[in-house]
Amino acid sequence: MIEAYTHTLLMIDLSRTAVETIPVPAPYVREFIGGKGVGAKLLHDRLPPGTDPLSPENMLMFMTGPLTATMAPAMRGCVVTKSPLTHTFLDSYFGGSFSPEIKYAGYDGIIITGRAERPVYIWIDDHRVEIRDAGHIWGKDALDSNEAIKRELSDDTIKIAGIGQAGENLVSFALICCEYNRQAGRGGAGAVMGSKNLKAVAVRGSNPVGVSDPQRFTAACKKAFKELEASPDVEALRDAGTASAVEFANETGLLPHKNYRNGTFDKASKLADKGQRKHLWMGSNACMGCPIRCSKIGAVRTGKFKGIVTDIVEYESAGLMGSNLDISDVRAVAHLVKLCDRFGMDSMSTGTVIGFAMEACERGILPSPKDVDLKFGNVAAAEHLIRAIAQRKEGLGALLAKGVRRAAEEIGNAAEDFAMHTKGLESPAWGPRGVSGMGLAYMTTDRGGCHQRGFPLAYELGGEWEDKKLDPLSTEHKAQLVASLQNHSAGTDTLVKCDFGSFGISTETYAEMLSAAVGREITARDILETGERIWSLTRMFNIAQGLDTSQDTLPKRFIKEPLPDGPAKGHRITKDDMATMLQEYYQVRGWDTKGIPTEETLARLNLTQS
Amino acid sequence: MACSFDLFGGYNPRLARLSILNKNEKLYHLPVVCNQCEQAYCLTVCPAKAIFRKEDGIVHIDQDRCIGCGLCARYCPIDMILMDPENKKAYKCEMCQGQPLCVEACPTGALELVTPVKTSSSPENRSNPEAKFAPDDRETN
Ligand code: SF4
Ligand code: SF4
Ligand code: SF4
Repeated sequence: MIEAYTHTLLMIDLSRTAVETIPVPAPYVREFIGGKGVGAKLLHDRLPPGTDPLSPENMLMFMTGPLTATMAPAMRGCVVTKSPLTHTFLDSYFGGSFSPEIKYAGYDGIIITGRAERPVYIWIDDHRVEIRDAGHIWGKDALDSNEAIKRELSDDTIKIAGIGQAGENLVSFALICCEYNRQAGRGGAGAVMGSKNLKAVAVRGSNPVGVSDPQRFTAACKKAFKELEASPDVEALRDAGTASAVEFANETGLLPHKNYRNGTFDKASKLADKGQRKHLWMGSNACMGCPIRCSKIGAVRTGKFKGIVTDIVEYESAGLMGSNLDISDVRAVAHLVKLCDRFGMDSMSTGTVIGFAMEACERGILPSPKDVDLKFGNVAAAEHLIRAIAQRKEGLGALLAKGVRRAAEEIGNAAEDFAMHTKGLESPAWGPRGVSGMGLAYMTTDRGGCHQRGFPLAYELGGEWEDKKLDPLSTEHKAQLVASLQNHSAGTDTLVKCDFGSFGISTETYAEMLSAAVGREITARDILETGERIWSLTRMFNIAQGLDTSQDTLPKRFIKEPLPDGPAKGHRITKDDMATMLQEYYQVRGWDTKGIPTEETLARLNLTQS
Repeated sequence: MACSFDLFGGYNPRLARLSILNKNEKLYHLPVVCNQCEQAYCLTVCPAKAIFRKEDGIVHIDQDRCIGCGLCARYCPIDMILMDPENKKAYKCEMCQGQPLCVEACPTGALELVTPVKTSSSPENRSNPEAKFAPDDRETN
């Protein structure tokens, strides 16, 4: 029978050029479902404490979930590894068609270890696996190398995940490009790939992926499609992707401006959907099988940067590469983001790093590079830095390529005061000073300061969650809210869902699709409980890898400097606020006052062996 | 997706009888379906006479006659003939007896079934349902 799971992992050791398949251990599937969960379990069990993320020993995993590659709408895949940026657990999600192809080739996941002697790429054609020379592709950018491999293998339907120059040069926020305009973006997975001398993984899969009960499954998918259609959030995404969030963030005072000094930007509307519609968009784009189609695709037709084909400048990039740098020409932002895409660098981290450098230069503690004026609003300076970082050129490029935390440490001179990161992961484009729950989410996310493992601000600004009244500025109820959202996120990331799909699809419907697909009854509660289990597991992993829990904190700017503008003007998240929320949060999770899961909690979650 | 499931009891767009053509970093994407060509090369080249046109104009393959030589797939100009990985015989879109599953599954309306108006130039054997496809943005095969 054709199943939703392939029950097989493909293991590739590049040091020994050894390829083998192993079955996915049944308890892993039972306790952790797939995607993030199984990835976290594998990493936890197999990676020795203190492993250098860029050493051959680190594991680079491309994981799918039981619903990936089926008719279930809005599903993705994820990369799981130890991050060179944060030295913590890293899961990074990608849409497109690469993850379904892994399943079609016959695998639930691909695990890559070791380091090839010279640059290689991996060619997986169903059960045939070949490690091929990539000497002639090394040095090419993410898109050109994709094309070169397709030409070499004479098939442009092959799906490829690969790195650009930034990954080759071990830039600590390099990404993995999962063609086109889909990336495992955050946390530096591209550098891990580069450290293995691995340029790309190319996959062609010809096997069908089935479900256990087709009738029930089709009915559940229909329900999911219906829920998506009924959701106003989904409608907004379909209409304008995430770009419409720019105006929203500006109105609520959460939009980073000038390295997060401010929360509003007077030219925000130019970066929002209206500006993009006028200057860029031509059509819509979707990941395989997704009816939301959140991407807008287009081209810059006029001005200095004309000719480039570009995806939507999604909210995070518009915020961090636009408003955060005081740049309002959306074509220029599209150009900068496209450069990052080609080099294969996370445009979020890059934006934050450049904003940091601009501020440091204005404060006179970082010398400006020759010939460019490193100051806010200067597109040429941003472009200069992107090129320098990706190629680790000049002292400055090499310094910033280490990420904002390490760069601030090396610069000294209190640069840490305006280095915007949590646990080393550069902050996302939602300043949390007006929404304290968002601050708590950044403090506690397993992969470092991230907005995607729980997005409480929607409830905080909405004023309500599960019949509780919420005040965005207060600390009340925030611990329960954040923990609950994180459990939901981790639980559904085992499927592997897209966050936008979950705006519409209820946990019950996910559970129904999952049960029908795998032939085992799994309830919404089970999914949430799995999420909770994963959250304590990744915590254990991080602690075993040396995480000091005092890092559950916020960038100093959010703690010390009151927000100068917007509706929450004058507010900051004080040390007391942080401590209150954090202790409450640890309690909700069943962790001790230091943030370490207690024996009872581990037993309750069936994690004792871990 | 719906198409491959109907054939093989599992999902994989590569096995489906239609495809999505992507160009220029996915700036363009077009669904590609069998045209049920007037001068169907697949039909012309088949040495086993396994390919024939029914009265409604749809080009069918009789798998009992097919010898799996692959000539039809080679000469179809838009790669609309596939070879079954199991029985090694040719298969193509035969319009699901007039109720295409792809059209039913398509949530955007990118695929629809239309009945063309007969014009003086339309051959008499093509007066019946035929698919018309408008470019849109799905990969729902
Ligand atoms: S909502 Fe967007 S990112 Fe998510 S699966 Fe659909 S197209 Fe992909
Ligand atoms: S299979 Fe190809 S050649 Fe045959 S009718 Fe269809 S489009 Fe024409
Ligand atoms: S593969 Fe079958 S249908 Fe196609 S040309 Fe050969 S015999 Fe005819």
